Amino acid sequence: MSDIKALTVPKWGMAMEEGTLVNWLVGEGDKVAVGDEVAEIESSKIVNVMESHVAGTLRRRVAAEDEILPVGGLLAVIADDDIPDAEIDRFIAGFTATPQAVSTREPRQAAPAAPSGGAAEPAPAPAPVAAPATAGGVAESLRQGEDDSNVPATPHARRMAGELDINLHNITASGRHGRVTVTDIEQALGRGHDGHAVPRDFHIPASRKDDSHVHATPLARRLARELGVNLNDCRASGSHGRVCRADVEALAQQRGGAAARGPAMAAGLDEPAVVETIPLSGMRQTIARRLQSAKADIPHYRLVADAEIDALLALRHELNAALSHANITVNDLLLKACATALSQVPECNVQFDGNEIKRFRDADIAVAVSLEAGLITPVVGAANRKGIAQISNEVRDLVTRAKSGALKQHEFEGGSFTLSNLGMYGIKQFDAIINPPQCAILAVGRGEQRVVVDDGEGAVATMLTLSLSLDHRIIDGATGARFMQALVRIIEHPGLMSA
Amino acid sequence: MSDYDVMVVGGGPGGYVAAIRAAQLGLKTAVVEEKRLGGICLNWGCIPTKALLRGADIAHTLRDLDRFGFSADNISFDIARLVRHSRLAADRLAAGVGYLMKKNGVSVIEGHARLDGKCRLAVEKGGKTDGYRADHIILATGARPRELPGIAIDGERVWSYFEAMVPEFLPASLLVIGSGAIGTEFASLYNDLGVDVTLVEVLDQILPQEDNEIAAVARRSFEKRGIRIHTGARVEELAPDGDGLRCRIRGNGVDELLDVDRAILAVGVQGNIEALGLEELGAETQDGFIRTDEWGRTNVVGLYAIGDVSGPPCLAHKASHEGVACVEKLAGVDSAHALDRNAVPGCTYCRPQVASLGMTEAEAEACGRAIRVGRFNLAASGKAVALAETEGLVKTVFDAATGELLGAHMIGPEVTEQIQGFGIARTLEGTEEDLINTIFPHPTLSEAMHEAVLDAMDRPMNQ
Repeated sequence: MSDIKALTVPKWGMAMEEGTLVNWLVGEGDKVAVGDEVAEIESSKIVNVMESHVAGTLRRRVAAEDEILPVGGLLAVIADDDIPDAEIDRFIAGFTATPQAVSTREPRQAAPAAPSGGAAEPAPAPAPVAAPATAGGVAESLRQGEDDSNVPATPHARRMAGELDINLHNITASGRHGRVTVTDIEQALGRGHDGHAVPRDFHIPASRKDDSHVHATPLARRLARELGVNLNDCRASGSHGRVCRADVEALAQQRGGAAARGPAMAAGLDEPAVVETIPLSGMRQTIARRLQSAKADIPHYRLVADAEIDALLALRHELNAALSHANITVNDLLLKACATALSQVPECNVQFDGNEIKRFRDADIAVAVSLEAGLITPVVGAANRKGIAQISNEVRDLVTRAKSGALKQHEFEGGSFTLSNLGMYGIKQFDAIINPPQCAILAVGRGEQRVVVDDGEGAVATMLTLSLSLDHRIIDGATGARFMQALVRIIEHPGLMSA
Repeated sequence: MSDYDVMVVGGGPGGYVAAIRAAQLGLKTAVVEEKRLGGICLNWGCIPTKALLRGADIAHTLRDLDRFGFSADNISFDIARLVRHSRLAADRLAAGVGYLMKKNGVSVIEGHARLDGKCRLAVEKGGKTDGYRADHIILATGARPRELPGIAIDGERVWSYFEAMVPEFLPASLLVIGSGAIGTEFASLYNDLGVDVTLVEVLDQILPQEDNEIAAVARRSFEKRGIRIHTGARVEELAPDGDGLRCRIRGNGVDELLDVDRAILAVGVQGNIEALGLEELGAETQDGFIRTDEWGRTNVVGLYAIGDVSGPPCLAHKASHEGVACVEKLAGVDSAHALDRNAVPGCTYCRPQVASLGMTEAEAEACGRAIRVGRFNLAASGKAVALAETEGLVKTVFDAATGELLGAHMIGPEVTEQIQGFGIARTLEGTEEDLINTIFPHPTLSEAMHEAVLDAMDRPMNQ
């Protein structure tokens, strides 16, 4: 039976609906092992490397670089060398993208089952209980009996018995403390009460269950992760009933597949060494592409206003003097002010994907953080519902982890508004480019003392210039102005933030 | 805007390691040091004492030459040369730390740092003060010798470890007050160099942190070498008398007046928490140390403390581990691991050496667990017999039910180099079975570890 497997666009996060194939890292005819890096895929926010979840030869690259595909869309076909091209063609022609579950992090297990013929290697979850196909070869004499939940058995043996519809009363136990083990079941099947032979390579469906509670040696746990083996599926022959290396390897071998673990395929082949060029990092590529299209596609307009911040500074001073667990910055207070203003003018608390407007109940505010490699915008979620100290400590944590590269994807995705502050560089005012699908970004300059004329009298006040960029497709000038008005009012009367 | 993401105050084994880790993680980092990089460990602790103890080992070997067929006349000893060796070792390593800072892109700021508000440091040097801002400030200011009421360290006749490490002459007699790691090491060192040593401990055993059987082996060995030991006793008076000191030792049936040339006060350390601006910020302290959670976080935002200043055990390797854990946590490293203070090995470099990990037998019993204890006496070790260093004992304490290694206690030659074997087993959550299945090479001193595990399982092989 032929074994053709599909490589499809993985789903990295709830919001991901399509992916762009940025770069192939393997060529047609290359051998691919499980875990090998095969392609760079760009989701809406970031370029990530996709690893193969199957092994074989990359027979056909279906998608071209820069092509945009839906999640589950066919990228490539992997199969053994001896499968004829015609069969590959048939597989591709018959392929339909299947919606799939969100892959928790890396793409390892993000493959949909192939629709026809070639059974894709990762078994669909959840494993069918007592499916006819597996129960087929089991003798009736092994199945019958009363409730066997009291029969001592290893967890694995119990699961195997469940899947094969075997009653544990019918199995002779040889395990420690009189427990039924997998070997016992295999032996019972092999002995064939009515002559049915059991294939040696009995196929254990792969668990998707959390295996963090399974007792295992550290090496076994790591190896299981490497080999894509779930510890729930392993026997536990190590000391004190722990899963050990041999158990993991035995299962991996039984499954076939995962034998070879080669180093990841190198990208870019013939890089000229003499030319002084700086290749764009994944992050820089994303920034370039996104800002280019944002600037080109979004009809930006800008609103500029000054706000007096003496009251805000006084509040900051008061809070910092009173709280040892927080060190609040002007930016933290501005973030809270934006969140409050967005609650008051929800027409600005939106995302636009080109088709429809998403209006959010909470203000999820992205903060622009400058890194050596570029720029990232971690998000403070539901800032309208958070206290200033909490916001301040979240921002500090997000900024530090942005710098150490430890942000999780969900922490820099989404957001309904961005705050960008260059005041610390002495910048008086600047205009920012909107970060789609958001529709507004606030650019903040430096707070400085200025002479303000009020009713013909000059007075000194600490002033801040705010510049708000808006997407005119979605937010009209008057609406933007209402937001700006609300924002300035809150900044100048910071007590409103707690109202 | 902050000048640095992370600023570390103190360049000892906690501070400089924390700074390197922060820089490795991509954070802009500086370390502030008012004296010399390397801290007490490199300059006045671990390293220079080990250099001196090497001299003591040689003195011991020379006394035993005859056994191995050698004879030597006119062996002379110049303490100044040994001290010089010790200082050179310290200098060399301190310079190495400077190189590590440079290599990792950590800025080194010289001067005394003081907190100047949240996330702010004022660094004073030569009358000039510079202000810095950092999102995260890690205090790693270490500890210093503690004094006793009525017994002050004068640096002349009553020494702390600072003076004891750079003696200009060998006193004829020496009183060592306190028998923790520092006191015991100096007692052993000076005894090997020919000084008449008296060791006084207020608790009822020397090496009070150690398992009592191990302490008993140490005591026997020390007394055989001529070290006089008083446990359960206090030094009640210590006054200058002639060129030396007169002291009164009282307790446990002893009331003795003793004349000694010099005394070493080694009754523990206290955290360097003063002049840091902690009170103004409201940072909490406890028993002279800064209070933190398991990640080194204080109650003040952006303020952390690691190493000696955050509390005992006051050991270099504990400080380093805490520094790394603190930095990795604040940088969001998923695999960050808080330090388990019970997993910190302790080493004392007296002769014979002492090394231990985890709970003593008494502590394990006090937990109410069913335990299994194994022992192996080095008298039965082939390698120890060949080396003619047969004083020693290895003791293991296991949880009877789970096989967890609760504690390991060793005394004997080079045990400080061996204790990590038990440490690895513990970190990997190895059980007695795993240790039994591990092949220990023959002939080695470490075979005693294997035998002590076998004994715990009632399967002794060579005893």
